[in-house]
Order: sequence, then C-alpha cells, then structure tokens
Amino acid sequence: MKSTRYLVAAPAALALALAGCGGSTGTSGGDSSASGSADSGAPTDDSNCADEDVFCIGLVTDTGKVDDKSFNQSAHEGAIAAAEELGGFYKYVETQDPKDYAPNMAQFTNKSYDVVVTVGFLMTEATATAAEGSPETKFIGIDQFFDPEAVTATNLTGILFPEDQAGYGAGYLAGLMTKTNKLGQVLGQEIPPVQKFAKGFENGAKAANPDVQVSTVYHPAGDNAFNDPVWGAGEAKKMLAQKADIIFGAGGNTGNGALQEVAKASGAGDSIFCIGVDTDQWDTVPAAQPCLVTSAMKLITEGVTETIKTAQSGEFEGLTTMGKAGLAPYHDFESTIPDDVKTRVEDITQQMEAGTLETGVSL
Amino acid sequence: MQTVIAWATRNRTTLVLLGAVLVVAYVFYYARQDIAPSMFGAAWDYAIPLVLAALVGVIGERSGVVNIGIEGQMLLAAFAGFFAAALSGSMLVGILAGVGTGLLAGGFLAVTAVRWRMDQIIAGVVLNIIATGLTSFYLQSGQILPGVIPNLRVPVLAEIPLIGETFFSGRSWVATVAIILAVGVHLALFHTRWGLRTRAVGEYPSAADTAGIDVERLRMVNVTLAGSLAGLAGVYLSMDASSSFERGMTAGRGFLALAIMIMGAWRPLRAFAMALFFGFVNAVGSQLQQTGGVTIPPQLLGTLPYVATLVVLAVAAGRVRPPGAVGQPYVKKDQ
Repeated sequence: MKSTRYLVAAPAALALALAGCGGSTGTSGGDSSASGSADSGAPTDDSNCADEDVFCIGLVTDTGKVDDKSFNQSAHEGAIAAAEELGGFYKYVETQDPKDYAPNMAQFTNKSYDVVVTVGFLMTEATATAAEGSPETKFIGIDQFFDPEAVTATNLTGILFPEDQAGYGAGYLAGLMTKTNKLGQVLGQEIPPVQKFAKGFENGAKAANPDVQVSTVYHPAGDNAFNDPVWGAGEAKKMLAQKADIIFGAGGNTGNGALQEVAKASGAGDSIFCIGVDTDQWDTVPAAQPCLVTSAMKLITEGVTETIKTAQSGEFEGLTTMGKAGLAPYHDFESTIPDDVKTRVEDITQQMEAGTLETGVSL
Repeated sequence: MQTVIAWATRNRTTLVLLGAVLVVAYVFYYARQDIAPSMFGAAWDYAIPLVLAALVGVIGERSGVVNIGIEGQMLLAAFAGFFAAALSGSMLVGILAGVGTGLLAGGFLAVTAVRWRMDQIIAGVVLNIIATGLTSFYLQSGQILPGVIPNLRVPVLAEIPLIGETFFSGRSWVATVAIILAVGVHLALFHTRWGLRTRAVGEYPSAADTAGIDVERLRMVNVTLAGSLAGLAGVYLSMDASSSFERGMTAGRGFLALAIMIMGAWRPLRAFAMALFFGFVNAVGSQLQQTGGVTIPPQLLGTLPYVATLVVLAVAAGRVRPPGAVGQPYVKKDQ
C-alpha cells in the first residue's frame, strides 16, 4: 500500500514539476525591450498597435531563450535593430512549451501587432495557422518553409538560409586542416536546418579530402535537444578520444557544450580545433576561443531586420525569402591557418555564391 | 577464510553477475581498442552525476524522506558554483559555494518536509520550481570559468587496464570522490551505528523512537547532509562536465537518479552499477548513431536507455521494496 502510494506520487510529482516549468509560459520573457525611446514619438507600450501610425513588432521564440548566444538571440537582435530603425515598438515572448506556440502568438495578434516574428522550424505549422486567422498581421517565420500549394495566406513569409553552404564551407576548411582525417559533429535536434548544416559539412569535408571520416551525432531527446551542454560536452569528449581533431558543434547550448569541451582538451588551438554555428561564436561563447577557428553563420540578424522593413513598407515578395549564410572571421587563428587553405576556402565560397558549385545536399 | 566463503555464498548471484559483466567488458575492450575505451569513459562520465544524485535519494529514503527535489538541488548548486567561480575568479570558491548551496537546499527540504511535516512530494516539487525560477531570473550570460577542476590520477590503480583508465585517470577528482562516496555510504549504511539507526528510522520510526532514537533529528541531519552530494553533482555539471551554466541544464538527471535508486533497490553500490549500466547504454546509442552503418533514427536510439530501464525494472527490480516508512512524516503518538 505504502509503495503503491509512492509509485503514484513520484510520476505525479514529476508531471507537476514539469507543468510548473511550463506554467509560467509566455510571461517570463514579457519584459519588453522597448527600443527607440530616444526617438521622439516612438511608442512605449503596445496599447495602440492597431493605430496606423504605430508600428509594433512581436517575437515568439522557440523553446530557446533570447540570450541563447545563437539562434534566438540573433533573431531578437534583428528585431531590436528593425524597431530602432523604424521607430517601432518591440516585445518578445519566450516559449516554454511547444503547446504554447499559438497562445504566445495570440498575445500579439490580439493587440493587432503589425509584424510577428516566429523563430524556428518547429513553429512552421503554428505560424501558418495564425497567419490564416489574423490577416491584418504580417508573419515572418525564420527557418520555415511554407508550401505554396498548402498555404493560401499572403501575409506571411519564411526566411530560409542556405545552411548547407555555410556547413560546406566549414567542412571544406576542416577537411583541409585535419591531420587525423577524422572529424566530428555534435548536433541538436534532427530537423532540416540542422541537417542541412550537417550534410553540408560532411560533403564539404569529403570534397576537400576524400579520405576523411565524419562522425555525426544528433541529440536524441526532443525537449531539451538544444539546451543540454553536458551531453554535448560528453559526446565531444568521446569523439576526441576516438581521434577526431576538429569538432563542429551545431545545436544551441548543446553544441556550445561541445565547443567548450574541445577548448579544454590538451592541444586545443594547436592540433585540435572546433567550429561554431549560427552566429560568430567567437563573440558569443568566449570560453570556446582557445579552439574556435570559425563559425558556420546564418546571417539571421540581418535577414530579420531586412524582412521586417519589407513588411513595413508593403507586401512580402512571396512565401519564401532567402537569407544569407557564410563563414565567420578566423580571428586569432588567422595566422594558424595556412594561406593556401584560406585561398581555397575563399574560392569555393565564391563559387557557391555565384551558383557554380552545388553542395549536393538534399533533404 | 570461512567468513569469506560465507560471504561469497550469500552474494553468489551478485558475484557471478559481476564476473560475467567483467569478462564481457574486457573482451570488448581488447577486441575494439578503437572505440571501447572511449565508450567506457563516456559511460562513466554520464554516470558520475547520476551516482551522486542517486546517493542523495538513497540516504533520504533510507531515513524515510522522499526527495523529489534532487533536480532542483543540483540546479541551484550548479548555478551557485558556476557564478561564484566566475565572479570570484577562484574555482575553489565556486566548488565550496556549490556544495554549500546543496547543503542549504537539503536543509530547505529537511525543514519543510521533516520539521514542518509538509507533504514530502510537494516540498520537493516546490524546491524544483524555486530552483528553476531563481536560476533563470538571475542568470547572466557571457561569464566564463577561471580554470578547470584538476584531473586526478590515482597511483597504482590507474595502471589497471580498462578499470584504471576509466575510473582512476583522465578525470577530475570529483569522479574519484563519487566512487569513494558510493563505497562510503554503503559501508556507513550497512556497517555502522548511524546506518542501523537511519534504516530503523526509515523502516519503522515508532520502534526506533521507542529505542530512544530522535527520529526527527536524524532525518533532519541526513536530508541536509545528503544535499551536499546533490551540490557536488551540480558542481560537476556546470564546472566540470561542461563549462557553463544554462537554464534547466540538469535536464531531468535528478529524476533519472530516482529511477536509478529504485533500480538499485535503495542500495548505494547497486545504484552505482545501475548508473554505469545506464551510461553505457547511452554510449552504445550514440556510438551506433556516430558510426552510421545502422540507419536507426536518433530519436529511437535515444529511447534505448529508457527501454533498458523498463526491462531491468521488470526483470530484476520486480523484487525491490522501498523502505517501510518512506514518504510519511513521523508524529510522536503521545503528542
């Protein structure tokens, strides 16, 4: 009897605890980073977003946070920049649980926000549904692909980035630099943007060096796949022990855990290197600097700012807006990387931009 | 000699099982030198915080107090340790702050659940929610640790193939302390006066009370002190296994530790073995993904540890029984 009570109580408590985490949904990030306050006439709250002259931008994160030093943060910064330039009002909500995508968006549409930015592939469906329901609001979905045959609304666009090109460039660099011919990738959840990075990396590495072996692991769990630095570090350690000498960490805090582990390894910066993702992680993850040669960047900030400006001035070009991707500067490794390697990476980057080189990635 | 034989006869199932596991492990170790050592290493890395957290659960429940708040205790300690180290510039200060925070969090549970006789499950859940809230609210990004926790190579033992390489070298002293603690808690629980009293208090508190043991005090002390182990686990997570604090970075390890405690039948050394088993299944999962060859979706591979848990719980742990008075506050009858 006693043990029965216990066995019921433990899972119930677990559920309660998890519910407790999700319970604060939508409000925890509610502090508005109101911007443009120096600008005369810039709105300071969202009470009259319905007004023609008042431009309001709302942002809903995926289950990450706006200070995740990678994906969500870039979008957040892009929205802030747009609000500053346009003299608009900006507010964000951090999603705690995927069930809350729709209510979080409704917080903005109920107040007639002009633009709602939704961050992340996982919100694709929720964004399309919300756009159908709120024709007055324009939706910008980052990493979201809207199928023209399925989506009839015109008040939305998805920004897609050529992650495969950034991954290819990083892989090409890694393929030229590896001494052991073994590379590793520690990745977040297995979703298209991450897969494009990963497959691009692998193809780039093999194009540069046919003998190279690339080990790839995706985080297996769904909910915290982008927020498990301990797991990322453990996987990186295991790959290093199996003689990989360059690790590509791509997956929010999970990938950052991998980068930081590589930075601690003996030989980091001399014979062992790491490559970051999404933003220039030299700036965002200082603990990774001992090994960080470059980052495979998506220019999310720029893409978000530009697309918000488009939304303000008129209609979107279509259901898809193409953003840009590329490699971050080498920073302190400028002198470590041989000149011919830099030249060759530069060459393939230009070829990809010109469209003469295909990454061979298809999902 | 006779006592040794008697002991071996009593524990023959365990010994046979242990022998079989060792043989398989060594065969794998020598057959696959390219991957086996790193897989055993990864298994132990994964198991370290689970061992510490499971010990917290064992000590608590053996004294009759359910600790569902291990997750929160670890999270608070990981937070305090990381930021104390980053802001003071000293790893030692960070470690002390982390372990101290663990003690405080243990004290919180002791006061609420034992002294105030609050429902133990609710007290633990409260702890988890407080931990999530506080650590998210006060989080500052961009901090970095001033150094690393130094590695410890245990002389002589480190020379043993496989075992020495995995457990006694190449890891920080936190790993070594976890081994010592598992053995220490086992010895203390089953071979000392404190252990006997603790078990009595957890099984049949009114009898213990009649025998003159201060039930409430012993529970308070045990739950509080166990908190320091959760503190060490937290320190390991944010300062050793990774080098940053992130929101919710314990990622359910505190709950996993409770499952491991049950699989380990509320015994420290069995919990240690179960944590290792769990870590190894996890390492196998990621190795299968990494080397390719088999095209199993990672989500499915990720369920491997949990499927293994279910199987072990069903097969081996069907006979386990929790301490008799677990979850019940003790109220003296004459009051």
